[in-house]
Amino acid sequence: MKITVQLLGQARHLAGCDQMEVEVPDGASVDDLVPELTAGASDRLLTVLAEDQKLRRSVMAILNDETIDPAARDVLKDGAELSLLPPMSGG
Amino acid sequence: MDLSDEERAIYEWQIWVDGLGISGQKQLKASTALVTRVGGLGGPLAQSLAAAGIGKLVLAHAGNTRPSDLNRQILQTHDQLGKARIESCERRLLELNPRLEIEAVPENIHEENVADLVSRVDIVFDCAPLFEERLLLNRECVRQRKPLVDAAMFDLEGQLTTIIPGQTPCLACLYPEIPPGWKREFPVIGAVSATMANLAALEGLKLLAGFGELLTSKLLVFSARSMSFRKISISRRPGCPVCGTVHPDPEESETD
Repeated sequence: MKITVQLLGQARHLAGCDQMEVEVPDGASVDDLVPELTAGASDRLLTVLAEDQKLRRSVMAILNDETIDPAARDVLKDGAELSLLPPMSGG
Repeated sequence: MDLSDEERAIYEWQIWVDGLGISGQKQLKASTALVTRVGGLGGPLAQSLAAAGIGKLVLAHAGNTRPSDLNRQILQTHDQLGKARIESCERRLLELNPRLEIEAVPENIHEENVADLVSRVDIVFDCAPLFEERLLLNRECVRQRKPLVDAAMFDLEGQLTTIIPGQTPCLACLYPEIPPGWKREFPVIGAVSATMANLAALEGLKLLAGFGELLTSKLLVFSARSMSFRKISISRRPGCPVCGTVHPDPEESETD
């Protein structure tokens, strides 16, 4: 299935693009798409988004304006638009 | 706490706002807020609270004004460069509202001052750039069951939520770790931080005066790049070490 991943905050800034498309097997979780998403990513983007090839715990995975469990299978469907929101702060 | 004739004249236009009224204005006058770091976010936020007639502000901010502050820290002025930021914050807020009581603390939030500062106020606004500071403030607000309005921004984006301990997710539910690689300095335009500051001020005014709908268990995500707002549903994290055992009813909480 094809998933569009919208990158927010630092992820957008570090990737230099608004969104990426990834192809993963049916039933894949958000964690499952992280290796493809971060293939070729800079060290800094990798640090922000991933931990042990999974989504970092402080990054929110958002689908249809709800946060979802990155480990949950069968939540993502073909054509889904997933947003990843890394932490941001004040100052 | 009654309003003087002068106050009724100054706040006349906002007293007309449905839900605010005279009683809400009196509530604001009777309220105290803590703003931690009074920079790009905390500065315009404190300014809006002062303009709206909040009774007292406790402002915590260390350091001297630097040139790189001036694109967003609107309570600072060019002639303030090299001088204590907190002095300018206090002076300019009092120029706007001389009735305002201000307690200016020339320190940022740390382990030694956080409990005392939070205990003195009705509501806390977290405007700090470092996650260590934000998570410390969150922990203390949960412990003392004080509402915490948390705003943040990056580049052309911003986010905002209102935390009611025991009822909504706390900051540690959202960020169970100090994000690695976070830098205190990051891209931002002053108008973006001021936008998030004013939205945060509105949350506080609604909460204190008791009108409107709050961003409880919701994260407002703003993009100035696409001029869009999204309201994301957020949930308490099971087993959160900060708020996991805090019950909605204070009488029932295991941490109290």
